[in-house]
Amino acid sequence: MASDGSTASHSPHQETGPIERFVYDDAVVRKFLFASIIFGVVAFLVGVIAAIQLAIPPALASVKALSWLEFLTNTSFLNFGRIRPLHTNAAIFAFAGNALFAAIYYSTQRLCKARMWSDKLSNLHFWGWQLIVVCAAVSLPLGLTQGKEYAELEWPVDLMIAVVWVAFFGVNFFMTLAKRRERHMYVALWFYIATIVTVAMLHVFNNLSLPLALVQMFKTGQTPAAADWLKSWSVYSGVQDAFMQWWYGHNAVAFFLTTPFLGLMYYFLPKAAEKPVYSYRLSIIHFWSLVFIYIWAGPHHLHYTALPQWASTLGMLFSVMLWMPSWGGMINGLLTLRGAWNKVAADPILKFYVVGITFYGMSTFEGPMLSVKSVNSLSHYTDWTIAHVHAGALGWNGLLSFGMAYWLAPRLFQAPIWSKKLVAAHFWLATIGIALYVLGIYTGGITQGLMWRAFDETGRLQYPDFVETVMTLMPFYWIRVIGGTLFLVGGILCLLNLVMTWAARPAKYEETVHEAPALGPVFIDPPPQPTEITASTEWAKDVDQKYIKGWFHRVWERKPAKFTIWVLIAIFSASLFEIVPTFLIKSNVPTIASVQPYTPLELAGRDIYIAEGCYNCHSQMIRPIWAETRRYGEYSKPGEFVYDHPFQWGSRRIGPDLAREGGRQSHDWQIRHLENPRQLIPDSIMPAYPHLLKDALNFESIQGRVDAMAMLGVPYGDLVQKGKAIEAAKAQAKELADTLVAQQGYADMGDKKAIALLAYLQRLGTDISKPPPAEPAKPATASAEVTK
Amino acid sequence: MAVKDFLSDHEYDGIREYDNPTPGWWHAIFIATIAFSFFYFVYWEMNPRASTPQSRWAAAQTAEYKRIFSSVGDLQNDEATILKMMGNEQMLNVAQGFYQSTCIQCHGKDGGGINGVNLTDDNYKNVKKLDDIFNVITNGANAGVMPSWKNQFNQNERVILAAYVATLRGTKPAAPKAPEGDPIPPWPAPAK
Repeated sequence: MASDGSTASHSPHQETGPIERFVYDDAVVRKFLFASIIFGVVAFLVGVIAAIQLAIPPALASVKALSWLEFLTNTSFLNFGRIRPLHTNAAIFAFAGNALFAAIYYSTQRLCKARMWSDKLSNLHFWGWQLIVVCAAVSLPLGLTQGKEYAELEWPVDLMIAVVWVAFFGVNFFMTLAKRRERHMYVALWFYIATIVTVAMLHVFNNLSLPLALVQMFKTGQTPAAADWLKSWSVYSGVQDAFMQWWYGHNAVAFFLTTPFLGLMYYFLPKAAEKPVYSYRLSIIHFWSLVFIYIWAGPHHLHYTALPQWASTLGMLFSVMLWMPSWGGMINGLLTLRGAWNKVAADPILKFYVVGITFYGMSTFEGPMLSVKSVNSLSHYTDWTIAHVHAGALGWNGLLSFGMAYWLAPRLFQAPIWSKKLVAAHFWLATIGIALYVLGIYTGGITQGLMWRAFDETGRLQYPDFVETVMTLMPFYWIRVIGGTLFLVGGILCLLNLVMTWAARPAKYEETVHEAPALGPVFIDPPPQPTEITASTEWAKDVDQKYIKGWFHRVWERKPAKFTIWVLIAIFSASLFEIVPTFLIKSNVPTIASVQPYTPLELAGRDIYIAEGCYNCHSQMIRPIWAETRRYGEYSKPGEFVYDHPFQWGSRRIGPDLAREGGRQSHDWQIRHLENPRQLIPDSIMPAYPHLLKDALNFESIQGRVDAMAMLGVPYGDLVQKGKAIEAAKAQAKELADTLVAQQGYADMGDKKAIALLAYLQRLGTDISKPPPAEPAKPATASAEVTK
Repeated sequence: MAVKDFLSDHEYDGIREYDNPTPGWWHAIFIATIAFSFFYFVYWEMNPRASTPQSRWAAAQTAEYKRIFSSVGDLQNDEATILKMMGNEQMLNVAQGFYQSTCIQCHGKDGGGINGVNLTDDNYKNVKKLDDIFNVITNGANAGVMPSWKNQFNQNERVILAAYVATLRGTKPAAPKAPEGDPIPPWPAPAK
């Protein structure tokens, strides 16, 4: 251990300005805190509903008394495919989002010794964000979605998010930094900086999309209908879209659910424990390694897919390297509590933190493990992933948010917490709830993964019938319902406790006036600590003093602009290393001559597939794994997805893969299966879609859809001429409807939504076995073989 | 332990920081993961002889086909071959796997028929003799109600699947669908 007692020996030279008086804005923190817990309860409730939807279909069939719950499985706006995005968006953006805003607004002011720069921006941020949440709550059940996980919200909402995040939140935060009265920035602020700049970058680049309404107005020459204003397509397609999506998706976990919560931990944990943070130099090294390494890890969501192998390998390796940077945060959190464990035993708030940080440690070990390809080949598409994210979201984000809420409540409402017993009860409900949830779903996930790949001794799949593997999960699904319900009850107790504490607030909040000198323009950094290196060159001594001992970082900590630029360099350079080759190297996506654009009707059907959220349960990506090709057919090739805006590879197989669904069933089977899957597969847990057989298909909008694809580079030829696409769609619909009748199917399907979805489903994955078109437009570069 | 802690002069809103060294095991594992990553990348991404998921899949396919079909070789789609396969327990077993992953959604687990025809009775719509089963599986039938499976299964697989389907005739399903089509004579007796 190096120096001791050098604390006061180098007095920095600085000029300070006049003493200033200021009060903190706690009103906005109170609002964010309430919003977080209220929306948290909503998010948990929707989660429990979704969990019930997966568990209940067999019970509905056998228990007459439950039949009134049938609506959970056949109501268009309540179906799982729409409820699941509502749940994830509410949990991430409404619950965790508002919690992290509360944490940032409370701690930033105190760490900067400055009120937020603009109360107006604080309030615009608060109300703007709640408006976004309400828009999400309305639009997602209506099926208005971009079809990319955690980036479902349509473009007008995306624009709102960009404005609120950058212009309201970002500007307010960075101006507060600029006006701060504390010379150096504490580690929590570093994490907030990384959060704000990175989320802005991720959000903008993943959500670049082409709106239907604009295409209709400026290309098609058509007045958009109301719904057309809320439909857009990703500008990226197939492999590239998948890459961008998981670059975004993974880093949403990193920079929305990890970095701000580490910042939260760094402020609220030492506050609650009344202990110094364990290690400043660990803060430095784990902050920078986390920020730099996290960005690369996204492709681990796409192992064994049509993504080029080098990208997938980088995703795995950077995830493995991320293990220790993540644990740096856990170590700093848990070791801060050294000598305070007696307090932990007595104080439920600290218990929330300890268990929360422990879940963080478990998730960030599990994450690298799941990203190892061989583990991932088992875990991918199973509930194992779902258990993993819930250990993180409920355990880490949830418990930390609750711990913060209980610590803040008496301070914000200036009244003692209403019931300490309820706080303790909440802690146990939440902890046991999470334990039931994740242990149940781990077991279910691994079980199903093993069943999918099991062969018997004669070389045939041991569980060839997919629904058999689903039935095995039922007990685990009910355990999840119980665990989730306990967690929900805990959330309700928290809300109750907050409301009652708030009700006991003083008539007028007391506002403490603080005093601190303004920062003067001059600051001379204290000299570096002496080096212990003696027998070496001056250069080595210099490096040791300035860099290895972290002196340079202390200098950065008083320069927010420079600090932010280094964060930007870290995240941009890491991103570009993967993005540039993915987009520029043609051989990453070998084209296949026989793969042609979707017909206009199929395109319309694809948009229905997206709107119904089919990708929430069905993947469209068969991996080159023997058990998988045995079950679903030939593995997926990158060139098959070049016209897929957005990609629909999915991440979970609650139902079977659909990549080669085309032609596997008759038209009649598909239509009856959509009407009610259980009339064909009694054990199916898929929702019923009777509305698709009744709702009229909007043929008029199809021209705009085709024009939009053409603008994105899909070769549609003549079909972009006015009305041609609609004609073609009607012709195909008639043909399909006629065949349906010939198959003794329903007679009046020709103008219904179901016919378009049928067209799309019957097309899926069939191009690869067709001969290439008669007159090849381009020299044939066709290759069905995938190279890395 | 606390004695050795070095408390820095940093203080923010009452929060102080120790400047404890990072644990040695932390450094060791971090460096180990970086070293592992370096070698892993070089081996798997810069080595032209490293296998790929696709090459391993192709090897698995070859090995499986060899294992399953080595005893019978390439199968003809004629009546005699199908008849022979109807007596080959091993092949029927493999084909049952195909049937269960592909056919049961329409024809039922025991062949009794759901949306598709009952395969257990003596009535057939598109089959007059054994090799017609192969043809229906290959080309589909009934305006696409029965899809074509020639892209999903190779010839050998379709031949043994036809044999398996033929053996369903005469079994007793739990909920048989009414017969469709015309009765046809029984399958020929197995050779020998």
